[in-house]
Amino acid sequence: MKPVWSRVSKEIEGELAGTNTSCPYHPSHFRNQECTFCYCPFYPCEDPDLGEVAESPRLGRIWDCTHCNFIHRKDVASYVHGRLRASGISGPGDPALEELFRETKTKFHRKGKAVMILGATSDAGKSVIATAICRILNDRGYSVTPFKSQNMSLNSRVTHKGHEISMIQDLQARAAGVSRPSFRINPILMKPKGDGMSQVVLEGVPAGDYSSADYYSEFVPGPGTDALKRSIDFLQSRYDFVVMEGAGSPAEINIYDSDIANMRAAKAADADCILVVNVEWGGSYAYAVGTLDLLHPEDRRRVKAIILNNLRGNVSGMRAAAEELEEMTGVPVMGIVPHLDFDLPKEDSESFRGVKSVGKGRTVVAVPKFPRISNFTDLDPLLHEDVTLRFVSSPEEMEGAAAVVLPGTKSTTSDLEWLRRTGIAGRILSLKGEVPIMGICGGYQMMGRILRDPFGTEGEPGDTEGLGLFDMETEWPGSGKKTERFGGTYIPTGDPISGYEIHSGMSSSSETPMIKTRTGTEGSIREDDMLFGTYVHGIFDKPGFRRHFLSKAGCALSVEIVDHDDHVENNIDKLAHGVMEAVDAELFDRIFMEGRL
Amino acid sequence: MRIMFLGTSSNSGKTTVAAMMCRYAAINGISVAPFKASNLSSSWHITGSGSPIGIGQAFQAVASGIAPDDDMNPILLRPEKEGVVRYLKGSPCAISDDAAFSEVLASFDRIAGKYDLVVCEGSGSPVELNLKGRDIANMRMVRERGIPSVIVGDIERGGVFAAIYGTWKLIPEEDRRYLRGFVINRFRGDISVLYPGIEELESITGMRCFGVIPYADLRVPEEDTSVSEVSCREGLVSLDELLSACRDSVDLDGMLRISGT
Repeated sequence: MKPVWSRVSKEIEGELAGTNTSCPYHPSHFRNQECTFCYCPFYPCEDPDLGEVAESPRLGRIWDCTHCNFIHRKDVASYVHGRLRASGISGPGDPALEELFRETKTKFHRKGKAVMILGATSDAGKSVIATAICRILNDRGYSVTPFKSQNMSLNSRVTHKGHEISMIQDLQARAAGVSRPSFRINPILMKPKGDGMSQVVLEGVPAGDYSSADYYSEFVPGPGTDALKRSIDFLQSRYDFVVMEGAGSPAEINIYDSDIANMRAAKAADADCILVVNVEWGGSYAYAVGTLDLLHPEDRRRVKAIILNNLRGNVSGMRAAAEELEEMTGVPVMGIVPHLDFDLPKEDSESFRGVKSVGKGRTVVAVPKFPRISNFTDLDPLLHEDVTLRFVSSPEEMEGAAAVVLPGTKSTTSDLEWLRRTGIAGRILSLKGEVPIMGICGGYQMMGRILRDPFGTEGEPGDTEGLGLFDMETEWPGSGKKTERFGGTYIPTGDPISGYEIHSGMSSSSETPMIKTRTGTEGSIREDDMLFGTYVHGIFDKPGFRRHFLSKAGCALSVEIVDHDDHVENNIDKLAHGVMEAVDAELFDRIFMEGRL
Repeated sequence: MRIMFLGTSSNSGKTTVAAMMCRYAAINGISVAPFKASNLSSSWHITGSGSPIGIGQAFQAVASGIAPDDDMNPILLRPEKEGVVRYLKGSPCAISDDAAFSEVLASFDRIAGKYDLVVCEGSGSPVELNLKGRDIANMRMVRERGIPSVIVGDIERGGVFAAIYGTWKLIPEEDRRYLRGFVINRFRGDISVLYPGIEELESITGMRCFGVIPYADLRVPEEDTSVSEVSCREGLVSLDELLSACRDSVDLDGMLRISGT
């Protein structure tokens, strides 16, 4: 402990540091954090409200402060700094230090304010509004975390600790400025597999497949409810704000009592609620009134505001009606948010359904529209160049394609059969050597010689012949799943690649590897045939490899070189700004800031 | 006999349910015709007499076994450069809402005079607070001609109970007597999951659930899209498929019965 205390001593001698954005480790916990105590004077406090016990592969059992923000609060840092200067505390073991910790905690520690964003329907704009609110609050210097108890999606991400969470909560964590989100921001992730079954990922780890009926009768009352409470307690004791997102409508009276994604979560966190209604389809007043009236009275009392979202047209034409709605329900309308122009990853196939192509570029990239397509946000960065993404369901639609990308899928072997049945597989093989062909995750597995799935993880048990573009075999061992963040360099050009892997099938390839990592290699490449394959999601995020791949497709590259992370960051700001412009700032402060200013 | 399908939002499936009703009545030997007072659309069907009417009504007419007629959709609202322009039987008209409504009633009465059953379709949601007093296609029609009405709710995006309840609630109390029931459209999965919700909704509103319509990829031309050509034959095949899929889950006879009251 000695060497650390010597650092602390320097911190005490120095001035309050403020937010040190020039530090290479910034933000170590959250954007806009107070950096005075890079080394916490109270480490290891062993207070379960702040840190947690973890196993480190190098150090064994350690006290882990990854998700503690306490010493990085401006008020806390300033108080502790002043007291330590005045007290002459000698270091760890000094009873006065322990006393100061207890005193500081009593004085400053409190449960974070929870606000839940409810939607009158799915696609109401809950996650977008929650994303905006995360950014607005973090811009004001607070520690903020998103939360959604249960999310059904095939778009997931991997945390730094290797847990799987929904893509959208990961995005919200970015908006909130959280540097290392915990799986607790989305403790339940349901990944539909087809046939009414979903793989349930519980606290970041697969916990088996459930039918909808079993999910509600077995999972929800037991492990689901426990995980919900654990997560909310954890987050509320560590963050100033917990911005919660509901799921679907909270007023589904047929399943009201078994719904842990909406009012039960709100109750567990004692959250105030904001109801978001999408006005685009009409009937929004009926949806608003109906949703409020069907909530149980004690739940309805939580709803402090309504947001009318996604208005295309004249806001002033809606004001009088909004006032009438307020009068009728007693709930104020916090804002009429216009249809905002921003570009952020979309939650789900919900918004994907029916879409035939995206973008208006000259280079057509054909993407087979797998029935179980997953992590299709991988493709978004391609649109920074002169590209049209065309989602194809037949070989005819591949006419004119300058490149093919086989995306990820929840069910590799059954989607491979789909690829054959539609005739797309044959067309892809005929394009070998003509246009670049790339497979990501499930799409990469398909490019091999054979896929062995003896336990039926991905479809019917047995072997499936692959496309044979790579000399590679993939096998599903029946249990286990690789979920890891990834970093490396693209071997032919040395460009950096970052992303994450999520897969349970494991491949052994005798091809030339595509990516070099710190400890080995990843992927397969045949440069002469323009064949690329990798497990890495997010492969196109960094501009280097993306542009290399597209140049093979004859794509005219844009002058501006866009890093996808910067693009997302800018669009979060744009969204937050648009939402703040449209809402009543006074009401916003009344809901979020009461007792906090 | 007359019946009106009101929607909880646009695209809730009114057109399809009305087409089902038309088809079912026609199959059972009832002389039936569709009617929609006003349609907001950038595409239309040209009738034999040269007037444009909504594609939905043209399709419903074919499903009824009759030729599309101007009176089935007297008013078309077309989005144009200078805003939405109101067309009365094919000509732009700058008359008051009241005058337009008289024309609508005249069209309805002509249709009702020729056919035994008129299957009406509302427009958008009948309870848009921002359109109050200006909406001639929904409750004003219902009130004026005493048309028994059924609310069509779309479950695909969720919130269907709230949507149906909220629509019922926002309709003035004196008009609620026309609201005889509701149907839930675009459902996927096991219907029994819905029963507790349906029962609760029936008991708090006094409306009856006439059924749950399964999700179907209908090739019926949809409203509010820019479809220009109508392939009615293909549409009829899918409509018949949907009708047979609804044999057990939708009480079409029940809806026929209320249309006569």
